[in-house]
This record gives sequence, C-alpha cells and structure tokens, in this order.
Amino acid sequence: MNKKILITLLLAAVFPLVAAAQNNTVSGTVFDVDGTPMAGVSIVVPGTQKGAVSDENGKWSIDASPGEKVQFWFIGYETIEQTVGPDGTVPDVTMAVSADVLDDVVVVGYGAVKKSDLTGSVATVKVDAISDLSATSVDGLLQGRAAGLQVINSSQDPGAGATIRIRGNSSINGSNTPLVVVNGFPMGDAGALTQINTSDIESIEILKDASASAIYGSRGANGVILVTTKNADEGKTTVTVKHQTVVSTLSAPLDIWYDPMLMAQVSNEEMVNAGLNPLYIGQTIGGIYYPSLLEIQNGEWSNTDWTKLCLRTPVTNNTTVSLNSATAKSSLNLTANYFGDRGIYKKDNYDRLNINLGFTYKILPKLTFSTFNVFSLTNRQVCNGLEYGRNPLWPVYAEDGSYWKAGPTDFSHPLVALEDKKDKTKGRDFLVSAAFDWEIIKGLKAHTQVDYRYKNTIQDIYLSRTTSQDAFDNGGIAKINTTRYQDVLTETYLTFDRKFGEDHHLTLMAGHSFNYEQNRGLYTTARGFVNDVLGNEDMNASDPELRQIYNDGYYVSKLLSFYGRANYSLKDRYLFTLTMRADGSTKFGKNNKWGFFPSGAVSWKMHKEPWMQGASKWLSELKLRASYGISGNQGINSYQTLDRYGSEKFYHNGAWTTVIGPGYEAGRTGANDRYFVWGGIMNPDLRWETTAQADLGIDAAFFNSRLRLTADFYYKNTYNLLREKYLPLSSSYDKIWVNDGTVENKGFEFTIDGDIISTRDWTFSAGLVFSLNRNKVKHLGDAISSGLSTDERTGMLYEVTGPAISMFNQNASILAEGQPMNIFYGYRVDGIIQEGQNPGFIDPTALLDRPGELKYVDLDGDFAITSKDRCIIGDPNPDFTASLNLRASWRQLSLSIFLYGVFGNDVLYNGYTYSPRVKAKRWTPDNPTNDFPSLNSIRQYQLSDYFIQDGSFLRIQNISLSYEFLIGKKWLESIRLYGNIDNLYTFTRFDGYDPEVGLDGIYWGGYPKFRKFTAGIEILF
Amino acid sequence: MRHYAIYTAIAAILALSACSLQEKSYGFYSGDNFYKTEEDAESGLMYAYNALNYLEYLRGIWYVGDIPTDDMYPKSDEPGDIHMLENWTVTPNTELTHYYYKYCYIGINRANMVIDRVGNGNFAEDVRNRIVGEALFLRAWNYFNLVRSFGVCPVSLKPISSLEQTTSPLAKDIKEIYDIIIKDCSDAIDMLEVNKSFGRVDKAAAQGLLAKVYLTLASSKEYGAAGYRSLDIDVAATYALAAEQASHVVGDYEGIYGFDTDLRHIYDVNAPDGPEHIFIMSTDRSGTHEGMYTKIPLQFLPNNSSVPIFIKYGDGSLQKGNGNGWGVFLINDDFVESAFLTTDKRRTELIHRTIYDQNGIEITPSPVRGYFTSKYVDPDFIGERTSARPYLMRFSDIALVLAEAAGPETGYPLVNAIRSRAGIGELTPGLSLADFRKAVIDERKRELAFEGNRLFDLRRTASVTRTVQEASSLTEDEAAFFPIPQREVDLNPNVPSSQNNF
Repeated sequence: MNKKILITLLLAAVFPLVAAAQNNTVSGTVFDVDGTPMAGVSIVVPGTQKGAVSDENGKWSIDASPGEKVQFWFIGYETIEQTVGPDGTVPDVTMAVSADVLDDVVVVGYGAVKKSDLTGSVATVKVDAISDLSATSVDGLLQGRAAGLQVINSSQDPGAGATIRIRGNSSINGSNTPLVVVNGFPMGDAGALTQINTSDIESIEILKDASASAIYGSRGANGVILVTTKNADEGKTTVTVKHQTVVSTLSAPLDIWYDPMLMAQVSNEEMVNAGLNPLYIGQTIGGIYYPSLLEIQNGEWSNTDWTKLCLRTPVTNNTTVSLNSATAKSSLNLTANYFGDRGIYKKDNYDRLNINLGFTYKILPKLTFSTFNVFSLTNRQVCNGLEYGRNPLWPVYAEDGSYWKAGPTDFSHPLVALEDKKDKTKGRDFLVSAAFDWEIIKGLKAHTQVDYRYKNTIQDIYLSRTTSQDAFDNGGIAKINTTRYQDVLTETYLTFDRKFGEDHHLTLMAGHSFNYEQNRGLYTTARGFVNDVLGNEDMNASDPELRQIYNDGYYVSKLLSFYGRANYSLKDRYLFTLTMRADGSTKFGKNNKWGFFPSGAVSWKMHKEPWMQGASKWLSELKLRASYGISGNQGINSYQTLDRYGSEKFYHNGAWTTVIGPGYEAGRTGANDRYFVWGGIMNPDLRWETTAQADLGIDAAFFNSRLRLTADFYYKNTYNLLREKYLPLSSSYDKIWVNDGTVENKGFEFTIDGDIISTRDWTFSAGLVFSLNRNKVKHLGDAISSGLSTDERTGMLYEVTGPAISMFNQNASILAEGQPMNIFYGYRVDGIIQEGQNPGFIDPTALLDRPGELKYVDLDGDFAITSKDRCIIGDPNPDFTASLNLRASWRQLSLSIFLYGVFGNDVLYNGYTYSPRVKAKRWTPDNPTNDFPSLNSIRQYQLSDYFIQDGSFLRIQNISLSYEFLIGKKWLESIRLYGNIDNLYTFTRFDGYDPEVGLDGIYWGGYPKFRKFTAGIEILF
Repeated sequence: MRHYAIYTAIAAILALSACSLQEKSYGFYSGDNFYKTEEDAESGLMYAYNALNYLEYLRGIWYVGDIPTDDMYPKSDEPGDIHMLENWTVTPNTELTHYYYKYCYIGINRANMVIDRVGNGNFAEDVRNRIVGEALFLRAWNYFNLVRSFGVCPVSLKPISSLEQTTSPLAKDIKEIYDIIIKDCSDAIDMLEVNKSFGRVDKAAAQGLLAKVYLTLASSKEYGAAGYRSLDIDVAATYALAAEQASHVVGDYEGIYGFDTDLRHIYDVNAPDGPEHIFIMSTDRSGTHEGMYTKIPLQFLPNNSSVPIFIKYGDGSLQKGNGNGWGVFLINDDFVESAFLTTDKRRTELIHRTIYDQNGIEITPSPVRGYFTSKYVDPDFIGERTSARPYLMRFSDIALVLAEAAGPETGYPLVNAIRSRAGIGELTPGLSLADFRKAVIDERKRELAFEGNRLFDLRRTASVTRTVQEASSLTEDEAAFFPIPQREVDLNPNVPSSQNNF
C-alpha cells in the first residue's frame, strides 16, 4: 500500500521536471582516438527520449538546454558525458577506447595487480550484483557469486550470520572459516561481517589458492576474503539516499496440528500401540484434562491457533545515507546505515546502526594519509522458540483472565515466554584505521598502517519464575554478561616496482606486521529474587548464596610476522610469483614459535606469444597458471600449550576454601555429563595446522573479452591437524592436544561470463559458476590413543562427531578414515514390515519385528539387529554446487535472475516421524503403507537411512527489477527504484521445509525459509 | 627530507612495538605461579584431599568395597556397569573400575605435586612436616586402594607434568607398592602430630592406615591370597607390626579418639567430629555443585515420588530423609537376616525396610524395594544437596584391626565393647587365635557393613569365592584383583596386555 503511494508521488515529482526543460539545439563533432571524425556514435540526453547518431563526418545535433547533460556512447569505448554550457554549446569530444576488463586492478594481500597479471587463483565478486539484497552480513550475500566459495545461510534469526567455506572443510577441531580482511585489517572469521555497509564496498576478492592466501601465513589456510571500501571520485560531491523494505513470508505451511480431532486420534493410537493407556478419553492426568474424542467432536474444546499469538510477518528496514566528496587533495566518504531486522517470532529483533567514515588527504605531493573508521552499534533482542505448535485444544486464557496452564509444571505458554523472558544483547564495535602511503623515489613506495578495534557486548537476561521449572525453583534467574575484545595491528611494507628494458618487470614487496589481540569476559548470575519486578536490574536483590561470578580469563595473543613477495614478468608473457611469510605467535608451543609459509606460482600468457597472434581477432586472453604453497591454520587457543592447574572449592574449618593443583577440567563426559575430563598438561610442541595446496588454472577470454572463462583444479592436503589424544590413566590426565591427522580436499571449479548482447539500449549477460569439491579424511591419528572406534564388518576406523540427537540417543555423524567428513553412520531400512511378512530378523524384545515397524536390514546375516549392522548411510557433502546469473537491461530498466543449486548432498531429517504431517500418514493394518511406520509413543528409533533424504535443490534465489530515472539536475542526479524477490521457488525432493542446512547436513526443523519481497529506492543527489 | 623523517619515525615506532612471543598465563594457576606460600601449600594439599570427593571415586567406595560382596547389591534396573561388579564379570572395559583406577592416580599426582614442591620448597619446618606428612598419607591411601583393587600397577613418585612422564613404569611386584605405602605411612607418622581436624588426617590416621596395611600383608600371606604368597615376610611379625601401630591409635589418644558410646551418633551427619572419626570425607550441603555436597543418601534411600520420607527408630523418633532417592544400593536379605542377631542394634537401628510419613504412619503401598541402611541420611538436606559423608577410617575399624592382629588377649575387650554398643552379648570366650581372628573378621562384617571394607576383608582372607555367590564359579586367584583398565594397557607401553596383576 505504502509502496504504491511512494511510487506515484515520485513519478509525479519527476516528470514535470523533465517536461519543463527548455528546448535548444546543440551540435558538435565527435572524434576517434586518432583524431579522425567518428561515425555512428550515439548521443543522448539522459533521462529523456532525445537521441541522435553522428554522421560520417562525426557531426551531430540534438535538442538540449544549458545545464543539461549530453552522453556519447559507442561500443568498446568509454561513455563520455558533457554538460551543455550557458551559451548552449558543447565542446568537441574525443572518444577513448574503454579499458578491457583484463586491465581491472585486483586487490591481493598487501598490494594489487592487474587482473591479467594474476598468477594465483583469485575471484572477484561484482558488488553491484549484491548491493540491492538484504542480509545482516555482507559475506552472507556471496552465495553462488564465486566458484569455490560455499555460503550457507541456514539460520533465519534476525542478525544471524552465514557459514562460509572456501574449497571445503579441512580442519576437525580448528576453524574452517576463511579470514576476512577489510582494507588490510584482518577482522577474523568470515560470516559475520556486519560492520561494513554494502554500499561502501568497492570490491570483494576471494583468495583461494596457496599462492594468493599464503601471504596470510598461519591464518591463510582456509582462504581469505578481501574487502576494499570505496573512495570518492575526484571533483565530485554526491549524496546518496537508499532505503529498502523487506517483507518476509513463509514459503511453506507450518507442520503443526491444525485439526485437534486428528491430533487426539493419533495420540491415542500411539499410546495404545505402545501398550499404554490412551490420553484423550476424558480424564485428568498430572493436573491436565484430556477430553474424549466425543467431546472434541462436539466442539466443546477450543481450537487455538497458537501461530497467530507467536508469529508475525517480519518487516525489515534498511536505510543508508552516504556522502562522497573529493578534491585533488582529499576525499571523504561518510555513510550511515540503519538496519532493523525482524524475526518471525514477535519481539525477536535485531537493530543496527553503522557509521563508516573514510578520509584521504595528500599531506605532501608524495605522502598521503588515509583513515577508515567504523562505528557499529547493535541491539539484539532474542525471543525465539515460542511454542507455536502447542496443543490446539488448550485455551489461551483461563476463566479468570490469566494465562491457561496445563498444570503446575507447564512453563511453555508462549505468551508467558513472550512477556516474562528478557534476553537482550547490546554490542559496540569500533574500528579505527590510519595509513600513510609515501612514494620515496619513483618505483619505491612505503605503506604504514595502524588499526585498532574495540568490541564490547553486554547481555541482559532475566528468566521470571513463570518461565521454567529451573527459574521457578530458584526464584528467578538473572544474568549480566559482558565481553570485551581489542585488537591492534601495525603494519609496514615497502613495494618496489620497476621495468628493466622492454622485457623485464619486477615487483618486490617486503613488510612486517604485529598483531595484538585481547579478549575478556565477565559473566554473573544471580538467583532467588523476592519477586520478578526488577528483573536483572538489581543483581544485589538476589539470594547472596545463589550468586555466581565467573570471569572468562583474559586471552591475549600476539602475532609477529614478516612477509615478502616477488613478482617477475618476462616479456609480459611469463609471470613468476614467490611469496613467503614467517609467523611467530604466542599461541604456538614453546618449541614451535615460528611458522614459515612459502608459496610460488607461474603463469604463461599464451595469447601474447607471437605464434598465437593469428588468433588475436577472437582470442583476447589465454593464460595458464600453476601454483603451490603452504599455509597454516592457527586453531590453537591462547594458553592451550601451557600447563594449567585446576581449582575446586573444599569445605575446611567450617568454610569453603579454594583449593588448587595439577589437573584442569577440560570437559565432561558420560551420562548427564557426570564425569570430568582432565587436561592441563602442557604440550610445548603444539603448532598450527598446515595446508599444502597445488592449483592448476586457466583463464581465457574471447571476442574482445565478451566471453570469459576461468577454470581451476586444486588439491589441498591439510596435515598436523589439531587433535586430542588420550593418555594412560596412571598419568592422572585424560587428554592432551597434539598435531595428528590429515584431511584432503580436491576439486574443480569454473566460471563463465558472457556479455551476450551489448548495445546502447540493450544488454544481456549471463554468468555460470560451478564448484565441485571432494573431501576425504585421510588419517585421524593413532587409532588407540585417539580412541577411534572400528566398524565391525569393514574394519573402518572412525570417531563419533557432531551434535547429539536425542531422537536416536546418539550423535549423527562420524569422521571415518577414507571417507568424507561428517558422513552419517547407522542402519539401513527397507520399508515397513507388513502383516505376514518375514522381517528378516528376530528381536529378542519382540517389539521391533512386528508389522508396522521399520524393517531394519540385517547386514551381517545373524538374524538380529546389532551394532554390527551399521554402515555408512549418507554423505552431507554436496557433489557440486552451481549458480546461474542472468542480467538484462533496456536503457535504465534492468532485470536479473539468480539461480543457485546444491546437488548430491544427503540431509538427516531429525524428528521426521514426530512431525504431525508424517504421523497422519502412519501405517495401520488398514493402511499398509511401505513409507511410514505405525505410531508408537515409546519407540526408540535407531539412526537409519529412513531419516536420510536427498538434499539437492535448485532455487530461484533472486529476481530483481530496477529502473533508474536519470534526472541530471544539479541537485538531483537520479532516482532508482527497485524490487526483488528472494527465495521465489525451490525445486527439491526434500520433504522438510528447506534443504539448506548446516554443513553437517542435519535438519532440525524450525520454520520454513522466508520468501522475501524487497522494495527499494536509491536517490543520488 | 621532511616527510622522510616523519615516515621513518612512524615506521620505526611501529616496528619496535613487536615484542616477546613468550606466552604468560593469565587468570589461572600453573606450576610457575603456585606453591610459593604456606597458603598455596595448604590449598594444594586440600586439592589432593579433594580428589576423594569426585563422584567417580566417591561412589567407588561402594562399587568396589561392597557391591561385589555378600552385603549389598544394585537395583536391577540401574543402568551401567554396576552389574558387572555385582556379578563378578568386570573386564578391562568396565567403566566404574576404570574411573576408580583413574581417581586413585589423580589423588596420587596431586599428592606427589605437594610432596615435591612443598618438600623441596622454602617453608618453615613445622609447616612442611604437616603438609608433606598429610600428602604422604594421601599418596599411601591411594596406592593402598590401588594395590588392593588391581594388584601390581604403574608407580610414580614424582608429579607428572610433561608428556614424557605420562607412561609410568609398572611396579615389579606387589612388594614394591607396599614398600612405598609403608615408607609413606612411616614418614607421615614421623612428620605429623596428633591433631584431630574434620576432613583431614593426622598422626593417628597414619598409624591406623599403617596398621591396616600390615594387617592386610599378614593375613593375605597367612591365607595364601594371590599376589602375596611369594612375599618374603614373617606372618607373626607382620601381625605384630600391625598390632603395634593399631595399639597407638587405640591406646595413646584417649579423649581424642575412642569408641562413640552411642551407635547412632556415629552416623549423625551433624557430628562429623565425633571420637570415632579418624578420617572422614569433607563435604557440606551448602556447596553449589556435586563434590562440594554429596548425593550419597539418594544412592541408598528408596524413592517416594519426591515426598520426604521418615525413618522410625526404636525409641519412636523419626528421622527425615530425601524422598527422591534412587534406591540403587540395596542390602541382601540373606545378609541382614543371617549375619545379625535380631536384637543387634546395627540391624534394628541401621537397616530398614519400611518408611514413614512425617506423622510416623507407615507409607503404603511401600515403594521400598529391599533393605536399605540409614548410615547415610541427612535430615537437613537441601533438594538433592546433602552433607552425608563416607566414613573413611573409624576408630572401631582400627580397634578391630588391633584385635585381629594382637589376638584374644588384647582383642576380647575391644570386640566386646563394640558388641555391647550394638546391644548384643559378648563374644564366645576362650577362642583359639585362629578362631578369634575369624570371629573378629566376622564382627567387621557387621560393624563396618556398607562402609567400603568388605571386599578387602574377603580378599585378604582368600574367601571371596566361598562367601559371594556371584563369584562362586571363579577361582580365588581370579577374584583377587580387578583387571587393569584397557586404556592403561593400550597406552602405557610399560603395562603388558597379558598383565595378570600379581
């Protein structure tokens, strides 16, 4: 509704301006680069229908008034714009050949190179393709935008980040997430780059192979994402206002009980089948009344729609105002952005204000100062997990107007949780960066940079006694948690760039950096309040004996590095790159303080060979690349290599005293986590995980670079994996961290881009991105000391990993030698046991071999289902991912369609048989389906391939339409209106809401993926 | 030149900011910053005591000491490996013996650290003697548990703080371990004073422990228990050594240690400083997590759907207990009914089969699944938090050690004192030395029932298989020790996989 009014108003405002323009004929001549008159050049007045074409003598004329702009356009040339002077004339114009895309400059670590001179595997993401999309973090928008880059947006919570991988998973206990570097400042793990406004970003580069990423040494093994922010264009001042509103709807119906009668019937059936008494027979159990089916049928009970009480249609707003201004000496970029993200649960909110300030100033002709500053304020109010699937028979209110509770232990009324739970986190994230660039002599430049980041969060939690049994027993639970993070980086490097004669071009870079990080936290909990009025506002009002203070230490790490790179190009045909980085870290063990990370690459511009000149008409580029290098993954936490004592409280002389000594609680194990796991013994040899990577690539461009192809093969071997090893019991320690284990990734990826149509009015281009990765766990360390299990039939060594799944009473995934990471391990199921059918096994309890049960497959042929019948039942890693981006434009109207697909991955559907939709289709003697088991409320399910589904999908991820009104007035340059639809449709055989789940392939249910409708406006002044 | 200077200055400052990569610990204690002061030493010592408080070790007292014997059995639906202990099917992979074994060594390493750092540190002599003396006791205590449970096992007398030290050598025989225990106890006796303190040990405890050690050696040799047959000791002389140490405890500290005249007072959770308690575990219900407090009563008491239960005593008094017990540890009917006279107060006052409500009315239908003991009841429990403690060394235990070691002449009055407290008549007079010793061990069965002693008394008298029905298919040698846990065998190259423990 609002959108319509807005558009009408804008149109009304804009068109009279155009119509009011005075008519006046302007004429002139247009010349080619060599000074000859140029024919066929299109001349237009932007924002109007007026146009002309130059004749054979380069002459043209058009109607335009003083102050209006005239544009000159010819394919393969730069577009030139001239303003009609007060005297109504325009100077003669000389067209210039447009720079080839191959001459684009690509940012690499500690420098930039021409795209054509790249020797490593670096992908550049076109920022304009993603700038109209809505997401919390910039890096979450990169899904499908670069080959070899995997982005998973599995959480739809407001403010949620994304999971990002480059060329697969390579670590088990360390991080697998690429490093994000903004303007030379390493910001840590990718997936949560929320501080930088999309509209401030100039370019995003993905460093994939070792030649590109090894310059980041012990942090480069997972690849690097480089983000560079914009600088204003000289002599221009622009103000941009951009606003977008996103309305999210659920893309599928919720899987809950809509018909209370069916729910009650199913409930009774599953109780009776389990040999228990049915509930819905008109009885009170545990204080809860369960009406009989007849009572339900007679409509004596309510049919509450809990979703209406819990959920809403989320409307997210995103507003950006930016000011860009530059003179010959200085440039300023100031951007403010407000992002208000709303979740589907009422009161589940995320609000953020970002201010980015960039400033560059030429102090001296050869000395430039630049600074980049970020202020990011976030407010997260968590209100999720409201029970929208609550029993529809239960009313909302009791007769006295209070909330109706099913019994004294019913704490799950959604309105109670909505009103009485407080969970708010405020974040403050400040980043200040200052740099000097100095050209010492021609060809020798120095860059010095200092960065400081300060991040602080405060979390307020209060759980009223109405919200849980625990809170009720304790008289309210209040928490205040604070964390603080500081990061200082200093960096200086010199770059020497010189051509020796025609054939030799040498670039040398050497530098050093020092990075100091500090992390600390304070967590306080108080319980036992007189009432819930103040919440956590006065922690002192709690029971003094029930207070806990816990400070999460003080983690300091320092990283001292020296690095260098040499680029040598011979005859602009043979390119060589060598890089080296030495990292010394406080985190590494005493005996391994320094790590060295070398890499090398060669590339050959074949198309520049004399014998290839014949093909130059259609072949713009043909380049072969090869690289090899070693990079690291820090993995280790601060103090992990040191010995560490534990402490306990001991009752002595009538009081508690703190007692201290060797042995530190490193974790828990056993049922209910009742047993301690003891660590704390030092390992001075502990070091980084190492990745050796080889890459072979080809870059090709055809037809004046209108068709471009990049393809890469890679092989990554990650060894010295950080693993825990068991120690003999008599040592009094359970585990020690060691480097032992190997994972390999190999793959193939390519990108094809084509500018299929490119005329003045029409453009059509398409891009295809394809990534294929094969991951394999090669070695998990010594089988005995690593505590590996053995598959009884095949001898496969494995260890259990991933989250525990209560439905199966076990963890879903394993890491197995010779297999991809996180494969699923369990039983096979061959349909449902039918009446009179031999299930093929005998269950001693006589429960599992009855008709209606899952027909487990007795793999070892002993007529019993035992742990020996387990095998690999699924692989969550996709065979390949692909995306297709189609863009078309006609004058100022542009349309783009983006498709994204993941193929060949398995998803474990946790809770499948608990779903109302599935329960309704259950096996009964009258409905002898082979797809769904009978109902049974106490059946213990085994993890089996019955719960594994094909997670392949192809999604129409985004369709965008935009129109730009070129106004061309002094105070108003243009207005652009756009709209897009996210997640329009998903083609999949997966039975749940959405198959896009985490890397472990476990589907947890939740709610359907949003379909997002965005409307936006961008005004350029 | 101007900007050259500016630039160089900036770059130089930044370059100098780099500094040492040595990591300094912050916010936690380590070998570098601890054991410097007397308070540190005290704290480190109590950390060694605290090893006893962990669930894995604490429950091991009954898992090892009583469940495999004729006095107790676990409820049938208790999950886990407890039935392996009950049924004498313990393997190297049994979880509960694995944990018991592990915690013996955790106690030893904590004690070793105190002995090493305080023994060699700069402390006043009296402080050092007291702290090192108590640590020596604890080391001996843990090795004594190990050797009686597992036989020959790895030995380390130095704290373990590097990877190279984590594979301790195996003792070459049982004697090597006993030599360590005897030396530690003897040193502790020399270093400690008599200083009764709740939760801690003193000279009397060290003497009591040494007495038990000698008695174990003497009786094991006498009865030909596995592992002890080839020991080169003189049985009579070793009994005499046991008697000598026990006689100090029994005779030297009148007014400090002695018989508690009131049987129920021994088990009064609010009287841990009674004269009977030479060593009792320190714990209190005001703690915030298990280990600080215990849930021992829940292991013993029946489940009354969370409604507190009441136990009725002979004088009509009621004692409140947790109503949410798990009733895991049940007492064999046969043990109750054949070991005790019906008038024995240790049966009538300490073993029950009925529970009552707060008005003294019996709860029916009764949720009680078998006989249970009221030795571990805390009427002042807070939720699941209780102060109930295991009785690690009682005066009556050492008195019976003295009786058994010294024989009838010294022993009759001691045994009769215990019997009279229990309200039963005197022991048949005029028994021979051998018969008297048998009678004392029989008395231990009643007096120390459910206190973690029974298995060791059966093993040292080589009478497991004929006493415990579940062990009847084993040979006495097979029942003499539990197997060393698999993880030790797998990861410690000094422990052979075919280790037979003796």
